[in-house]
Amino acid sequence: MPFFEQLAGNLVYGAILGSVYGLSTMGLSLIFGVLRIVNVGHGPFIMLGAFTAFWMFTLFGIAPVVSISVALVLGLALGFVIFFAVIRRLINAPELSTLLATFAIGIFLEEIAKFMWGPDHRGYSWDIGDIDIGITLIPYSKILAFISSIIIAYLLYMWFQKTKLGAAIRAVVEDSGGAAACGINVGRIYALSFAIGIGLTVASGVLVTLFVPVGINPYMGHEYTLKAFVIAVLGGLASPWGAFYAGFIFGLIENGSYTLLGLIPGVEPFSLTRFVAFSLLLVILLIKPTGLLGGENK
Amino acid sequence: MKKILVVLLLLSVLLVGCAQQTVQPSATSTPTTQTTPSATSTPSTSAAEKILIGFSESKTGKFNAESKEQTNGFLLWMENVNAEGGIYVKDLGKKVKVSYTSYDDESSGERVQQIYAKLISEDKADFLISPYSSGLTASAAIIAEQYGKVMVATGAASDSIFNKGYQHVFQLYTPSSRYLTSAVDLLQTKFPDAKKVAIVYENSKFAKSVAQATKSYAEEKGLEVVLYEAYEPGTTDFTSFINKIQAANPDAIIGGGHFADGETFAKQIFEKKVKIKLLSLLVAPAVPEFAEIGDAALYVTGPSQWEPQAKYTKEAAQKMGVEFFGPTVEEFVKEYKAKYGYEPGYHAAGGYAAGLILQKAIEDAGTLDSEKVREALENMKVMTFFGYLEFEKGEYYGRQIGHDMVVIQWQESDGQLKKEVVWPETGASSQVIAYDEKY
Repeated sequence: MPFFEQLAGNLVYGAILGSVYGLSTMGLSLIFGVLRIVNVGHGPFIMLGAFTAFWMFTLFGIAPVVSISVALVLGLALGFVIFFAVIRRLINAPELSTLLATFAIGIFLEEIAKFMWGPDHRGYSWDIGDIDIGITLIPYSKILAFISSIIIAYLLYMWFQKTKLGAAIRAVVEDSGGAAACGINVGRIYALSFAIGIGLTVASGVLVTLFVPVGINPYMGHEYTLKAFVIAVLGGLASPWGAFYAGFIFGLIENGSYTLLGLIPGVEPFSLTRFVAFSLLLVILLIKPTGLLGGENK
Repeated sequence: MKKILVVLLLLSVLLVGCAQQTVQPSATSTPTTQTTPSATSTPSTSAAEKILIGFSESKTGKFNAESKEQTNGFLLWMENVNAEGGIYVKDLGKKVKVSYTSYDDESSGERVQQIYAKLISEDKADFLISPYSSGLTASAAIIAEQYGKVMVATGAASDSIFNKGYQHVFQLYTPSSRYLTSAVDLLQTKFPDAKKVAIVYENSKFAKSVAQATKSYAEEKGLEVVLYEAYEPGTTDFTSFINKIQAANPDAIIGGGHFADGETFAKQIFEKKVKIKLLSLLVAPAVPEFAEIGDAALYVTGPSQWEPQAKYTKEAAQKMGVEFFGPTVEEFVKEYKAKYGYEPGYHAAGGYAAGLILQKAIEDAGTLDSEKVREALENMKVMTFFGYLEFEKGEYYGRQIGHDMVVIQWQESDGQLKKEVVWPETGASSQVIAYDEKY
């Protein structure tokens, strides 16, 4: 049964990777859902999270799992700063302006990172053992990444459902005009949502390094921006929860497709990862333009 | 909503382009401005009183760092040879000192052609040394051939420079087609039970050409290539790929691409505890930063043009029945450190070797005549601190056929990871250790 074993092993890793994908896309979807702004500078925030994990570990020996909270706080702070400096002025601006602005923020962050830390590829080594689940071997660090992302997503969900602020955010997503009429300070909700979105993204950067602790460099975000777009669309764009599930699905499809495509003679699936991702996006847009998990087109 | 999706899609396509640009070093040159080149050396006088060597160096642009090393190596050679009174030229019955002229090529191919034309026709250079990099050397080679001047090519590994019918360009570096053939030889000699090889490589021009050459070499040597497959440039998650490699059950994994993917690949192979005898990857293991992945780096091997630990000795030369020429490895490393304050890498060694090989050819020819020196190079078989050197006379005239890549392996000494040279046997500083010894 080597084939099924290989497929099963790939799917296990697909699920782990999918959870990281999911969390890294939640921020993108939250910001789009509330502010109707597509953050095309998404990847560089993941890069910042990765560097947070790297520096905390190499300078202070702090375990990357602990760095998740540090990155979250850093991301929140950065989110507020960027909101009040840039995004606030773009709330009702044309789409092209917001795309340009977020693209510029992304490039700005990359160049700042290159200026401070140089263009080198960096990595750290945090080996805490592994577990053999029979079909495949999984390092504990990856399991921790998996568990952390599920916990964060769950906490966020509870916060949205059980708290007043969470309800206010949901109200703004439903109808910002109506929410304002009910006395909700929409501007504040915008700021908070943007900051949470960025905080999640930076935190997911730490998880990314738990999965792949090397290749940390200023331009590492591109790869994740691409996948986040596909996942966000898959999840219906405006829904953070949809994005989280979609991340899982994407991880499973991506890794599963390696095994399945490999059955076709002459096909080298690992040299086709982008092809697989974007074919998936095109197919979804053709079949269901509102996204796989999305609702009616608003 | 739909509009946004369309824009998103377009942006993604744009980003794909950007992402690829960052992972693949481009070989194209930047446009140049027309400035007057500034000569950086003493002007040559009469040919009999001085031997003038001309070359271009990349003082600005992307090749700046490597080119500087190469020039440093050359300058050290010149200093040494002049300290001994120069190169002995039999026809003149005396030693003749060496001088040089160089210009900044701005890492640009167009600039290189202007410079080499000027070096030959205006500065009257006797001999030429190539710029750094295959791309620039390919540009310079056209001019050298047009004017019939001998050019020693260092810092250039491409094979394709040498199938253009040139008769005056001689390569010092092991050509890229043989980057990983040493790993195959190492595997067969040290692990004779190993029969199955997986060749996995980055889907880029450089890695693919190396992989193709390695595959045919391995098959020629009677190994079974159980997996031959490419992965996307910029891949960060190899776990599924490694599952597939494990299913093929190879004794060795050979391949890779550039630094980032090679490092990630090595890390994940370690995480999955893949049981193999040999892991040999392009580029990444030769870079000092590779050690940052800790235990995952242990026993990983990779090719390098030259390493300061390499033991190319007079005894090794004797065994092969060839002459040893120039300083020993220890002397070169010591002198270089004394002059520049840090240990030389292979770029510097290549620069020194370029001067050394010209010296040897001039001494063998006994004249400064280009054609005679060319013949001397054609017939040269010599061992130097840089390794054994010999040039092809056939279809790829001037291509290096003697020099082998050294294979380095990350080994542990006193709890520290350290690069050791494990191949070729004549230059080894340590015995190779099977990769799976680490588990």
